[in-house]
Amino acid sequence: MELEEFRTALDAWLNENAAALVPEHEGLGTLDDQMAQLSKVKRMTYDAGWMRYGWPERIGGLGGSALLRGYLGEALTTRDLVEPGIYSMTEVLAPTMIDYAPPELAAEMVPRLLRGDETWCQGFSEPGTGSNLASLSCRAVRADGGWRVSGQKVWTSLAQYAHRCVLLTRTGTPESAHRGITALFVDMDSPGITIRPIETMHGAPEFCEVFFDDVLVPLDRTLGEENQGWSVAMDLLPYERSTALWHRAAFLHRRLQQVLDRTDTNTLDPAQLGEVTQLLYAFRARSRATQHRLAGGEQLGPETSIDKVLLATTEQAVFDLALDSLPADVAIGEDGPAPRWRSEYLYSRAATIYGGSAEIQRNVIARRLLALGDDR
Amino acid sequence: MDADVRELFDRSIREATDRHTGDALDAALTDLGWHDALASDDRDAVSILFTRQGASNATSSALDAVMLDALSATADAIVLPALGDWSAPAARMDDRLTVDGLALAPRGRVAIAAMVNGKEVAVTADLGDLDVAPVRGIDPALPLVRVRGSVDATGALPIDWSGAAVPSGQRALAHELTGASRAMLELARQHALEREQFGRPIAMFQAVRHRLAETLVAIETAEAALDGAWIDGSAVSAAMAKALAGRGARTAARHCQQVLAGIGFTTEHPLHLSVRRALVLDQLLGSSKRLTSELGARLIETRELPPLVPL
Repeated sequence: MELEEFRTALDAWLNENAAALVPEHEGLGTLDDQMAQLSKVKRMTYDAGWMRYGWPERIGGLGGSALLRGYLGEALTTRDLVEPGIYSMTEVLAPTMIDYAPPELAAEMVPRLLRGDETWCQGFSEPGTGSNLASLSCRAVRADGGWRVSGQKVWTSLAQYAHRCVLLTRTGTPESAHRGITALFVDMDSPGITIRPIETMHGAPEFCEVFFDDVLVPLDRTLGEENQGWSVAMDLLPYERSTALWHRAAFLHRRLQQVLDRTDTNTLDPAQLGEVTQLLYAFRARSRATQHRLAGGEQLGPETSIDKVLLATTEQAVFDLALDSLPADVAIGEDGPAPRWRSEYLYSRAATIYGGSAEIQRNVIARRLLALGDDR
Repeated sequence: MDADVRELFDRSIREATDRHTGDALDAALTDLGWHDALASDDRDAVSILFTRQGASNATSSALDAVMLDALSATADAIVLPALGDWSAPAARMDDRLTVDGLALAPRGRVAIAAMVNGKEVAVTADLGDLDVAPVRGIDPALPLVRVRGSVDATGALPIDWSGAAVPSGQRALAHELTGASRAMLELARQHALEREQFGRPIAMFQAVRHRLAETLVAIETAEAALDGAWIDGSAVSAAMAKALAGRGARTAARHCQQVLAGIGFTTEHPLHLSVRRALVLDQLLGSSKRLTSELGARLIETRELPPLVPL
């Protein structure tokens, strides 16, 4: 199906089914509410076919360009039907499975993720491993026809809801760095896994600590080759900075329009509003070009670090404007949209931290795009 | 243009802007068929030439050609608005138009846009009938002149200044600004790799690396907005791209000047040429500061964000 046809048909379907798609909770809702809403919307869009477009047929998709997925997420986000952060995790995890899992495993598992029957998480960061991902130490050793995993992950989004985890483990020596990492696909109900959600300042316990105590993972759950997990991680990161960012641009556009809808004229600074609008326009144009490159089969690489820098800058600028224009909502409001403005303002502070910090992105830009050589 | 033709065209244009400036560049552009390209494929013609012109610190009459083409006007040059401004440079005084604007090496008949009774019109006049004074200012290599005087208003024809001429000129200037910014970035990048302090190239210091990364982000932000502006073709997106390119060029100048440090402050090094050029280009057809505030003020009034480029 072509994008234009998809857009028209999907918009019509979303309008027809608006009453059934709308969240049951009012306003922001709890994370439980948001997760229930996400599952509902994924199931409805999967069963109606929309969620299957843009994915290959061998995992239950209906084929077509990845642009169709981009538009679906945009349409759902623009209507406030899903929270874009938790929705877009599919865009990161499904391609990884399709590229690296044994084909029969991908065919069995990916439809469950797309349909919202399952939630998956991504076990990358560790207490001692933030920006320096290659230093991770969560250990996997071969035993009993599988892997035995012991160690700890942190900042694992939605682990408390997750049925599966794409997990990076240390299988080489501690000094092997990026050469000794293996990616595994782990059932989260395996014995030996303990999950502790982390209370964060924006109010939703979205991130977790995950402890692995001698957890058995079957050998056929290895993603890619043994000790080749670094390439799994590196191939996943551009996905985090393509379709997911396109969805986020749609979300920021909606929020900026809501600032305009809500606020009194005299609290908006024209220069600030103008600059935020320009940034959002540029970010969206950048993300659009990246989406088209992805859909055209191009391999995305370090240039997506610029997309991530632009997202972080734009997101913080949009919510700085929201704070300056709707201070009562963000700072003291308890009713109506206030809790959401407050939560989203606070969450925007993390935009320069998650998914590769602002500093790491600039390091990538300096080394890979400007060819400034190594920094040590 | 397909990719191969575009690459070939870009290479020819680059050779021309590297070698020539002013009248000589105009002659080279005519030989290369740039004006035909402008008529058949304005995006490629404008983006390639102005980016290269900005990078080489060259000058030409191409901005006049682009704006006259957008107005479908026949003249040899066009009068630009006063510094920082984008509104038509002339106003009606009785049955005459009073002009106070700028122009780049004008000649022959010049087109003058004016706002008359809320309508955009233009007349053409002989340059000889106007008071033309060179502006040296901060960028003496740019052949900028101030044009003042009063011309007969009879024969004024309706035009689309703000919806056609200005956006076309803004897109061209935005490309020229990103070209100048890329030239500054390359000079600073080379210097960072060659200059050693504390026993290693200064490119190894994160403070230096991040300034240059920040510069590339600013340039590619403006380029992304330009991509959108060409796709949607609207006046508001052209103004946004121009503002981002102007602000980006000032960011590039700040960071690159700092990385180049002492040598970049001398006239023995070419950086100052691009810094000077960027400062003036930012002020033509609407400064970044003015375009940004005006956009915000209009949004406060309309309460509606400009449409975004669809996927």
